[in-house]
Amino acid sequence: MLVDKKFVPRHKAGFVLCHWLNGISFLMLFITALPLYDPNYFGFLYNALGTSTLQNAHKFFAVIFIVTPIIGLFIARDGYSMLIGQVLKFNKDDMTFLVKFPGELLGQDPKMPKQGFYNGGEKMNIALQMALWCVLVCSGLVLWLGSGIIDNSVRAWMIPVHSIAAGIGFAAALGHIYLAVGVNPDSLQGMKNGTIKADYAMHHHGAWVDELVAEGKVTKKELEEAVH
Amino acid sequence: MAKEMAMLHDVARCSACRACMVACKQWHNLPADFSTPFEGQYQSHADLTSKTYNLIKMNERTDKDGKFHWDFIKIQCMHCQDPACMKGCPEGAISRLDSGAVVIDEEKCVGCGYCTTNCPFNVPRVDPDRNKSTKCDLCFDRIENGMIPSCAKTCTAQAIDFGTIEEMTALANKRIEEVKKDFPNANLYGIGPATEGVGGTHMMYVLPEKPSVYGLPENPKTPASIDLWKDVVRPIGKIAGVGAAAGIAGLFVLSKMMGKKNH
Ligand code: HEM
Ligand code: SF4
Ligand code: SF4
Ligand code: SF4
Repeated sequence: MLVDKKFVPRHKAGFVLCHWLNGISFLMLFITALPLYDPNYFGFLYNALGTSTLQNAHKFFAVIFIVTPIIGLFIARDGYSMLIGQVLKFNKDDMTFLVKFPGELLGQDPKMPKQGFYNGGEKMNIALQMALWCVLVCSGLVLWLGSGIIDNSVRAWMIPVHSIAAGIGFAAALGHIYLAVGVNPDSLQGMKNGTIKADYAMHHHGAWVDELVAEGKVTKKELEEAVH
Repeated sequence: MAKEMAMLHDVARCSACRACMVACKQWHNLPADFSTPFEGQYQSHADLTSKTYNLIKMNERTDKDGKFHWDFIKIQCMHCQDPACMKGCPEGAISRLDSGAVVIDEEKCVGCGYCTTNCPFNVPRVDPDRNKSTKCDLCFDRIENGMIPSCAKTCTAQAIDFGTIEEMTALANKRIEEVKKDFPNANLYGIGPATEGVGGTHMMYVLPEKPSVYGLPENPKTPASIDLWKDVVRPIGKIAGVGAAAGIAGLFVLSKMMGKKNH
């Protein structure tokens, strides 16, 4: 069944909540640590808000960042299984998508293979962010709580490791936000009320819509009416 | 005084009277430190703290012949020649003075704790109340006024000596010969190969036993991770940051232009 005859249900409320908890804690973690990345440009944050405030905030958001996927196991199990399942099912169509995507990004309209629930690019972003989550959490915890437990010859390495992971993660996040807000604003609705426009779904996630039709979750007729 | 100085702790002479701990607190106006609850142990504090820059560690040990030993050692900042704390401080708050003393400028310190993380001896402690890093400063202010550090001044057993690095090296070499008569494993720490990885230290020891017996690292090194962080990660991060912003702006404009052409 489409929602309001126009929208395909995509994400459940629990998953939408986890997405924003993750996104906001990630950005706040980045911002609260910026003065350590570069005291010359971002030192003003320490001057304005105080060093302890930012360092305590970094730890506060770290806790949120760590518990979000754990909460997700309870309130968004479907959504998280979908994330993992999709990443493991990276296939030839995903490759084709990646090759043709730059053309689409530059405003052309190349013939794309039908995409599943997540497209090749999204799958790469998900896999990357999962790996970075592990690296950031491990290195961050060792920096935070490791003094006297883990030898400093190991702990010292966590500083560049944590920095590199934070930098790569932020770059990927910028791309992710740009694609969502700037390129495909229709996709953003999925992370607001959990639905996306039927014609957007058919155009960008055709294989997934076919599955929905096959499973009887939406009908062809509904979709046709929604698009016209 | 621009001479390079050094301190020598002759562990064989130390009676663990802890007068140096008191003297250090007096000179630095540090309050009593009740962070370690008293449970019958001899050692006063479990570890260095932001109120205790100098600690006499006491360790009971039974050797392989079943003989009982008390191991005492004075621990504090080692005043490395190539200080990891200084190299890795994002704020440039730590400097090494001509005397060899490695000191923290509290005005610049932001309490991030990277100096603790990077220090091969795990010495600096961030004071949780002021969020400033603290440690032994070799009483650099006394040295500059021609005095010797408070702890060295107070030691009556002549276990702590202080002087130019040449004087202390000579003294250490003399002392080790004496100590070796009773302790065949005796070694020098802070001079020679043991601490080469940190460029040598201005805190030196005559140790009757191996460094690890006293909890000292056998092979302390100024970690290479600091160079990676300083020379690679941060500069690239800066370029990438600017690049990413420019890239996205450029892409946005380009996609608008190309998009128009196609429609
Ligand atoms: C995506 C999430 C995270 C980002 C973007 C991030 C970013 C950063 C950055 C950029 C620094 C400064 C490093 C440098 O300049 O070399 C830093 C420091 C630090 N991070 Fe994170 N971090 C994240 C997650 C975590 C987590 C999960 C923890 C702990 C569990 C953590 C704990 C720390 C600690 C203790 C420091 C040391 C300095 C401080 O207290 O601010 N971080 N972080
Ligand atoms: S012992 Fe640690 S705190 Fe002292 S100078 Fe060396 S690196 Fe710095
Ligand atoms: S705690 Fe202070 S002295 Fe230590 S590295 Fe951070 S800013 Fe530098
Ligand atoms: S040199 Fe000064 S600061 Fe260092 S332990 Fe001795 S008295 Fe304390």
